[in-house]
Amino acid sequence: MIRYIARRLGQAVVIVAIVAAITFALIHLAPGDPFSAVLDNPNVSETVRETLRAQYGLDRPLPEQFVRYVGALARGEMGWSFSHDRPVREVLASALPNTVLLMGVALVASFALGILVALLQVARRGSLIDHSLSGITLLFFSMPDFWLAILSLLALTYWLPIFPVGGAVDPVMHEYLSLGGRIVDRLKHLALPALTLTLLASASVARYQRAALLDVLPADYIRTARLKGLTEKEILRRHALRNALLPIITLIGLSFPALLTGAFFIERIFAWPGMGYAVVNAIGTRDYPLVVGGVIIGSIMVTLGSLLADLLYAWADPRLRGH
Amino acid sequence: MPGPTPDSAVISAARPRESPLGLTVRTLLRRRSSRIALVLLGVIVLVGALAPFIAPYDPAAQPDIVALKDLPPSLAHPFGTDPYSRDVLSRVLYGARLSLMIGILATIVSLTVGVAYGAIAGYMGGTLDALMMRVLDAFLSIPRLLLMLGVLVAWPHLSIGALVLFLGLTGWFGLSRIVRGQVLALKHAEFVTAAQALGASRRRILARHLLPNLVSPIAVAATLGVAHVIVLEAGLSYLGIGVPQPLASWGNIIQDGADQVARLWWMSLFPGLFMVLTVMMLNILGEALRDVYERRV
Repeated sequence: MIRYIARRLGQAVVIVAIVAAITFALIHLAPGDPFSAVLDNPNVSETVRETLRAQYGLDRPLPEQFVRYVGALARGEMGWSFSHDRPVREVLASALPNTVLLMGVALVASFALGILVALLQVARRGSLIDHSLSGITLLFFSMPDFWLAILSLLALTYWLPIFPVGGAVDPVMHEYLSLGGRIVDRLKHLALPALTLTLLASASVARYQRAALLDVLPADYIRTARLKGLTEKEILRRHALRNALLPIITLIGLSFPALLTGAFFIERIFAWPGMGYAVVNAIGTRDYPLVVGGVIIGSIMVTLGSLLADLLYAWADPRLRGH
Repeated sequence: MPGPTPDSAVISAARPRESPLGLTVRTLLRRRSSRIALVLLGVIVLVGALAPFIAPYDPAAQPDIVALKDLPPSLAHPFGTDPYSRDVLSRVLYGARLSLMIGILATIVSLTVGVAYGAIAGYMGGTLDALMMRVLDAFLSIPRLLLMLGVLVAWPHLSIGALVLFLGLTGWFGLSRIVRGQVLALKHAEFVTAAQALGASRRRILARHLLPNLVSPIAVAATLGVAHVIVLEAGLSYLGIGVPQPLASWGNIIQDGADQVARLWWMSLFPGLFMVLTVMMLNILGEALRDVYERRV
């Protein structure tokens, strides 16, 4: 088990190193240098440009630059964000908790909802309910994240003003609220973005879990349970679901890229002050270091997610636990 | 020329030959859902192909930027007009053309690279395979949208051709892993050993003996791949870094109305409906193809 963990950790480190190489290649294949926007300014004199380039090491040979780049990354340095006039690390560090909150809530809620829908479908397999739920999950599965976010914003904040329009807190009143009031205010602002991301993510969970349950049902132990006289509900809950839950752990690891991508669009549309919001706005201002920082942190999140899922799987599967 | 031996005659009589493609199509058409999907996709492709003939207006024309802008849906403009007074229906029809074309072309790029990469890794094996797979792991852990963001921010003013290329180059990782697995599994099959014994070159074995066995997973990946690219391109265009103006794609029509979502609802609703319909039908078809293929294996 310890050897497995060590090997899997080593793999994750290699992956992150290759990700760093890819982003480095992206930066250096691009025309101009990362701050050509600053350097193109005619008011910046030639000497200042040279100093800037030397300061950032852009006059050194590429291999040396790469080593310095990786070294800086290892220390958590990701350059200077021009649009925020702060280090990229600080911008992302202050945004990350909001993204993690949004993704975490959606992760838990979408798996709960997805598994529930799948159980309902399998309990009534072949029925009208099963078919219509399949249609609905396919619909959400096929929906672009940003479009559902726009529709829910349109429907539930403008047409039916149930939820606040955007942001993480009420921009005016939040400071004057009591502690309880502040928590309620935060939850109100979190509700719609989290609901949207949950709906998007739960569609693939439900589709996956339905197939997994149907795969398990013909197994011998299910027949045994049926012969023992267990009701269909008990069979589903106590036998089928337990065995079909193991692949769910794998799915959790696989769902991180989609969750993160969804969070990017949803944060943008609901002005939720997370990493996606910062990075997407950085595209508009051509704040290149911030975008690259977002790419790196996003990739690390995905790598960590699949690492955790693999370790969880190894722990949960009794067949692997002994090794 | 020696005639067939009695043995092989028996085998061919017992199993009438049908091309894998014919079998796949026949099984596919047996399902009602995939028949509907094929018909609707055909209609959307036709709409895209015939856009210049059926679009009521020029999609880029701005007839009257003051009097005709931001009009809600009406008989003259069934999908309304945008802030530049352009007809949204015409733009959605032209958008079908562009979004489908980008989806198909980018997927062709992905298939080419993915099959080549996976086949080489699987067939060569050893250190090269291990190395190629680690690189693949890294690419797979960068969400595709983020990878595209990095690329598109580095190269701000990309042409459509370059956009298609990059969309294709970020979409082959999953497929190449499947191809590698298949090649690895088939590498030691008897028919491959037989071909090797007959002196066939590596390239010939890959192209003539292994690739034809990969048609089904490739068909699945292609169908789902087009759906992915359509969604991704729409997302990028919505962020303003995909298809450049004045060209119309489903994503950038929505972008044109994004500043005033509540007032210009028709600009998000209609292109989105077309997009969801297309992607849904592609998903139905892709999953049906996968079922056909998995049942046969």
